[in-house]
Amino acid sequence: MSDARIEAYSRALFEVAQAEGNLQIVEDELFRMARAIEANEKLRSTLTDASIPAARRQQVVEELLGGKASNTTIQLVSLIIGAGRGRELPAIVDRLVQRASSEQQREVAEVRSAVALSDDQTKRLAEALSKSTGRKLNLKVVVDPSVLGGLVATVGDEVIDDTVRTRLEQLKTRI
Amino acid sequence: MKLFLSALIASEDPSQTHHWLFPEKAEIIYGGIASCIIFAGLYKIGWPMIVKAMNARTAKIQKELDGAAAARSKSESDASGIRTALGDIESERRKILAEADAQATAIIADGRARLLKEVAELEAKAVADLAAARGRSGEELRGEIARLSSAAISSAVAASLNERAQQDLIEGFIKSVGASK
Repeated sequence: MSDARIEAYSRALFEVAQAEGNLQIVEDELFRMARAIEANEKLRSTLTDASIPAARRQQVVEELLGGKASNTTIQLVSLIIGAGRGRELPAIVDRLVQRASSEQQREVAEVRSAVALSDDQTKRLAEALSKSTGRKLNLKVVVDPSVLGGLVATVGDEVIDDTVRTRLEQLKTRI
Repeated sequence: MKLFLSALIASEDPSQTHHWLFPEKAEIIYGGIASCIIFAGLYKIGWPMIVKAMNARTAKIQKELDGAAAARSKSESDASGIRTALGDIESERRKILAEADAQATAIIADGRARLLKEVAELEAKAVADLAAARGRSGEELRGEIARLSSAAISSAVAASLNERAQQDLIEGFIKSVGASK
């Protein structure tokens, strides 16, 4: 998919979410959905399989997100999947998050954790990262069991990695 | 002459002689003279012919003797040549045999040297292969130990990562990032 098309879809999603007045929630839910599609091969192949009717793929989305995401998020994901752009959903969402962050004069900070963070932890982590980088951040937390423990934060090109997975990798290399 | 003969015939009986052994004197004289004439003629005419014949025979025999001598000389020369040739053949045979022996010796020496070299190379290769195999086995063993150690460590760490440990890691991260400015 071309950058222009990704840009167009992300702008459309941004406009809809902003119009619905729940941009932050939708952006966050879409971000998590995109990461889930990236991490789950079976889900990705199901949502991008052209041989499966679009209605069936949209039904999968609704069953997957029903009760766990806002109606706007479900409709937007369903729209992307129904248009046959499921493979590009992560890129579209990343562009949407960047756009939303830019609107707020913020930069996207992606944090991966083996377990979910509490609101308090998320708030303190955002403050700590802002203080560390000197930038206002739009924190996105992704639950990724593969990191085993600890956190890894990516702000632009900067990566702060203090995960158990990385430590184990370093230990394996030394062994 | 004719008269002499007639008188002789008329006066003498040819069938009667005065001696039972010897002929008449005249007959001896005439016979002797005739014999002398004949012998003289023979000496004068026949002897040269005999001498000539004898000389010719002698020459022929001499010629044959000379031919035989030449043939013998030639035969001896041929025999000498053959003996020389036989000697040369024997010499050549010995030379060829000597060369063959030398070549065989050289080939054997060369083959032995080559075999020794190949054996040495094979031994060196075998030693190197053994060393490599030992090294490889050591490397594989070390790799396996490292892999098992890593797996064991991963399992032990994952088992020890309870909720409390996870929260401690998160809090530690927040604290370290906040203090890193």
